Amino acid sequence: MLSEFTPDQTVDDRRRPTYYDLPLLKAPHWEWNVVTYLFLGGIMGGLGLIQLLADGRKESERTLKRDARITAFALAAANPAILITHLGRPERFLNMMRIVKFKSPMSLGVWGLVLYSGAAGANMVRELALEGVLPRWLRFIAPGFLTPMQALLGAFTAGYTGVLLSATANPFWGSGKRHIPTASVASGLASACALSSLLCAIEGNTEPLHKLERLEMAAGATELLALVDFRRASGEYGKPFFEGARGKKLRDTTMIAGTLVPMALNLLGSIIKLPKPVDAVRVAVASILTLTGGYVLRESLIEAGKDSARDPRAAFRQPT
Amino acid sequence: MATGFFTDTTLCIGCKACEVACKQWNELPSDGFSFTGNSYDNTSELSGTTWRHVAFIEQTTATEDGVENRWLMSSDVCKHCTNAGCLEACPTGAIIRNEFDSVFIQPDICNGCGYCVVSCPFGVVDLIAKFDPDGSHYNVASLMEERREERQTALQNNGGVAGKCTLCYDRQTLGFTPACAKACPTESIQFGDVEELRERARKRAVTLAGRGVDAQLYGVDDVGGGVGPLNAFFLLTDRPEAYNLPAAPVLPSTRQPAGYTAAALTALGLAVAGWMIFRNA
Repeated sequence: MLSEFTPDQTVDDRRRPTYYDLPLLKAPHWEWNVVTYLFLGGIMGGLGLIQLLADGRKESERTLKRDARITAFALAAANPAILITHLGRPERFLNMMRIVKFKSPMSLGVWGLVLYSGAAGANMVRELALEGVLPRWLRFIAPGFLTPMQALLGAFTAGYTGVLLSATANPFWGSGKRHIPTASVASGLASACALSSLLCAIEGNTEPLHKLERLEMAAGATELLALVDFRRASGEYGKPFFEGARGKKLRDTTMIAGTLVPMALNLLGSIIKLPKPVDAVRVAVASILTLTGGYVLRESLIEAGKDSARDPRAAFRQPT
Repeated sequence: MATGFFTDTTLCIGCKACEVACKQWNELPSDGFSFTGNSYDNTSELSGTTWRHVAFIEQTTATEDGVENRWLMSSDVCKHCTNAGCLEACPTGAIIRNEFDSVFIQPDICNGCGYCVVSCPFGVVDLIAKFDPDGSHYNVASLMEERREERQTALQNNGGVAGKCTLCYDRQTLGFTPACAKACPTESIQFGDVEELRERARKRAVTLAGRGVDAQLYGVDDVGGGVGPLNAFFLLTDRPEAYNLPAAPVLPSTRQPAGYTAAALTALGLAVAGWMIFRNA
């Protein structure tokens, strides 16, 4: 005899909101290498602005300009290598060189990176020629227009990394279609200022420090405002980013230690004249904190994107 | 000619012949077995090596006359969107629209960046995991013996590249019906000229409505969000979410203008701030 099946009358299966809670979307396959790529891309972009702003006629800013250009090229050269560790084989990078696709932020970004490398490379050669490291006639390799060009391409490489994430089907990233690009640009510039300040402090070139620090404060404040407004605007979609252990890490490492603390330290530096060695420590601490915050921001964005992809409810109703 | 699939889920009997035929024809390895407990669905999702997936939905509903049971089955597949997120995102041009209007990945050009994976609003395309001779991810023994070594090498070479339904491009060039549609014993999966199929789907929905079936078409017309109509569309008898289909998908590239504008304005603002800071003092 069959035992009679009595279903739970309180559950209406037709109102089940998901398919066994299985994810609708696929999570990004992006690990530390992509995080590093986005992070370095931001710094590289920010250095483009710094090398434009630094006044070559002043001795102290000459050094800043030179350092910014050398660092920018080093990062531009490192980034394809980092991307290749993600792609698996070097020749796979070249597959992106066969077309230019305006609809694809990744395609445009790679071309931005390549053009940036060219401009940064020529500008670096110019610096090294002026320094006498390379033959002096090589300084003509970089015509003047390459200086604003590097800044423009830099803004693009820092900004596209944000668009790359936000213009996807990922609900969390999509909810930040304005905020993620804004935070990427601002954080990239703040990190570039931090790196430049760090190099200045190491070289004992303290004169441009206060300018770099003020620019870093402006960028840091923009980043912070973008993140605070992002939290409000993203609502439910932003939970994987702003809540739980990841939200705490973002708040503590990026927003407080990576933005507010360096801002306070920079403010301190402009108010009180500290003795030189103490001041160098202050600059170093502020810079390292900003850089760490910038890395954690990118890491949190990627990891929160993975969690968001695993939530079918978010994917059914995409943010507009 | 634009071709596509019309998957009429009211005819699906959940035999999974489509899944098997697809794996066999496309020489896709088994992804291993895991027991999910989700009705008869142990496949769970489409992936780089699973291009048809049959969903099983068991529903028990209390009604005034007692208890009503129904069992929904639906064979999911790449939608071959009119405006495909994966195709737009692909930085290498590996993803193209072929002469049958299908979205096709050229595996020798794909570089495994994974950008298509996050750009598909339907969660279809995925990277094929690298074949690991010592690992157990793929059951290569599931492949035909004579071709095993060749396929193993192909998996190794293509390891990390994206994979999804090709709408049996190779079969179509020979004038054959795609493997899944060919194998389907109930004609739940219908293949043909996409406009003709759309007409057929609309008629079928009307017929079913006449019989009191709550039939909904998914993808016959624009699904919204800029995605447009789908070349592989469905007739469903429940909300799309019940089948793990998005009710409101969004084409990722529609988010680009806002993103580029925000980035440009931020960069401009900070550049002006920087200019003022560096000009003074």
